[in-house]
Amino acid sequence: MLTVLEANVRKVVIELMRYLPNTISLIATFYIIFLAMFLGISVIGDPASADANLRFAIVGNAFWFLLLVGVSSMGWELTTEATRGTLEQLAMSPVGLRTIVLTRMLGTLAVHLVITVGMLLLTMLTAGQWLRFDLPLLAAVLAPTFVAVIGLGYMVAGLALVFKQISALLQILQFVFLGFAFVPLAMLPWLELAPVVKGVDMVRHALVDGATLAAFGPRDWVSLLLNAAVYLLLGLLAFTVAERRATARGLLGQY
Amino acid sequence: MVDVVGLRKTFPARGRHAPAVTAVDGVGFRVGRGELVGLLGPNGAGKTTTIKALCGLVRPDEGELHVCGIDVRRQRRQALRHLAAVLEGNRNLYWRLSVRENMEYFAGNRGVSRAQARGRIDTLLERFALGDKRNALVSDLSRGMQQKLALAVAALAQTEVLLLDEPTLGLDVETGYEVRSLLRELRDEGRTVIVSTHDMPVVQDLCERTVVIAHGRVLVDDRVDHLLRLFASRAYEVQLGAPLSPGQVQTLRRRLVSVTVFDDGLRVQVDLAQGDDLYVLIDVLRSGGTPIESIDRRVIDFETVFRRLVRGETAGPDGVLDLTPDAALDRTGHHAAVRA
Repeated sequence: MLTVLEANVRKVVIELMRYLPNTISLIATFYIIFLAMFLGISVIGDPASADANLRFAIVGNAFWFLLLVGVSSMGWELTTEATRGTLEQLAMSPVGLRTIVLTRMLGTLAVHLVITVGMLLLTMLTAGQWLRFDLPLLAAVLAPTFVAVIGLGYMVAGLALVFKQISALLQILQFVFLGFAFVPLAMLPWLELAPVVKGVDMVRHALVDGATLAAFGPRDWVSLLLNAAVYLLLGLLAFTVAERRATARGLLGQY
Repeated sequence: MVDVVGLRKTFPARGRHAPAVTAVDGVGFRVGRGELVGLLGPNGAGKTTTIKALCGLVRPDEGELHVCGIDVRRQRRQALRHLAAVLEGNRNLYWRLSVRENMEYFAGNRGVSRAQARGRIDTLLERFALGDKRNALVSDLSRGMQQKLALAVAALAQTEVLLLDEPTLGLDVETGYEVRSLLRELRDEGRTVIVSTHDMPVVQDLCERTVVIAHGRVLVDDRVDHLLRLFASRAYEVQLGAPLSPGQVQTLRRRLVSVTVFDDGLRVQVDLAQGDDLYVLIDVLRSGGTPIESIDRRVIDFETVFRRLVRGETAGPDGVLDLTPDAALDRTGHHAAVRA
């Protein structure tokens, strides 16, 4: 598994370097968005809550972006591989397609996380304004949240295996995830059943209301972990069914 | 090493008006260790479906598939440890990665680290004459080099079985020879190689045996040299001292299986399918007083054999070439094992 992970992370990094103009534009976009947030919230918003608002806006935005990357990368990668003609080679790996797409997604997420954090640091340096984050709390909440993202990624990847053309679906998902990332759970409590919303809500409490790890009760953690486990299982199930359907219909490798 | 028994696959209809397509309908053959077998057939015969089923990429409706004794349908991942395949030639590569990076990546996906693969990659790059291109992007390579790299990637897996779909497609003559030589080396290493191809010189030059598939069924499973002998032995070219008369041509065409007249009647190509066909020919020529300058047995290539097989020609000089699977038992010794 580690060798497969290393191979796929390395491939993601190499391709980022080979498609340099695309990578540079991605980095520049992050920088500009973060800078606009810093300057916009500092100038327009209430000075008393500017710091909390800025932290939430930045984390919400970064989270939304990583959520999109996480959910769409598996499906996108499979579609691209099918177009290139390499999907069949991946499907013939003894480690299984499921493992390869997971490692590819983790590689893509890791690279984008590094770019996001790097650009955030650069923006803070440029703006001369340093934000403080409770990193242990963020890690504790975001880790299970991203397990649910993996589940969603598998669902999208399964659809990509069977239908191949999923770009329209991915565009719609952008707006759905925007809602997940920014709508408070207090407004729509039933959204707790939706993927990742609980995690984002806990992060919001931590960043805006100053909640600490101790502020969250067992119900919060159970809900968060259960949500992650259910969506991961659903994702794996969906991918397995899609893989079987693709092999039954001879769709692996065809675009 | 590779067993295919009763393979059937019908792809469901795509779209309301498109019919379901039966790609293979009871295909069966066996390939032993170290054999290099050609899988032949016209377009749409079922070759690629057979190969993809062996790779676990297509799930059959019926039939058994075993690679090194492992059931591909039930233990797909274990079976994949024993086989590697090149299915779409140079499209099986990442064009924005270098030669070396491609090999390292595919090795990694089989659980082999870069450190473990390094020595083997260097050896293969030298052997496939890609050593000086190791850092070149695949997109900058010629098609022949890309094809060789795809083969090298498959060879890197060090599996007992290699499945190659059209390995020489689109290559120039020189690179085609190079690839053939590499395939021969892989066979000589003791690997079992199944080559699906339309390139008849590859079959004639490399394969001990061929399995011809048409309309989703095995048409013939026999040794290549046997098929060549069988078809070559009945084809003759007769050079005449005087042209044939229209009456003689008509008689020959009526009494022999196949007659072709060239050079204004001075050269005749005949298939002497039956034992007394030679007497028929001599009688017709003598009746017109036509002198014979020479009679040569025609050198036949495998392309001609293949075309005749697919057209359904079955008559041989030593009787009838029975193309049913049972008939090949004695010649190949393989069907018996499959059926058993």
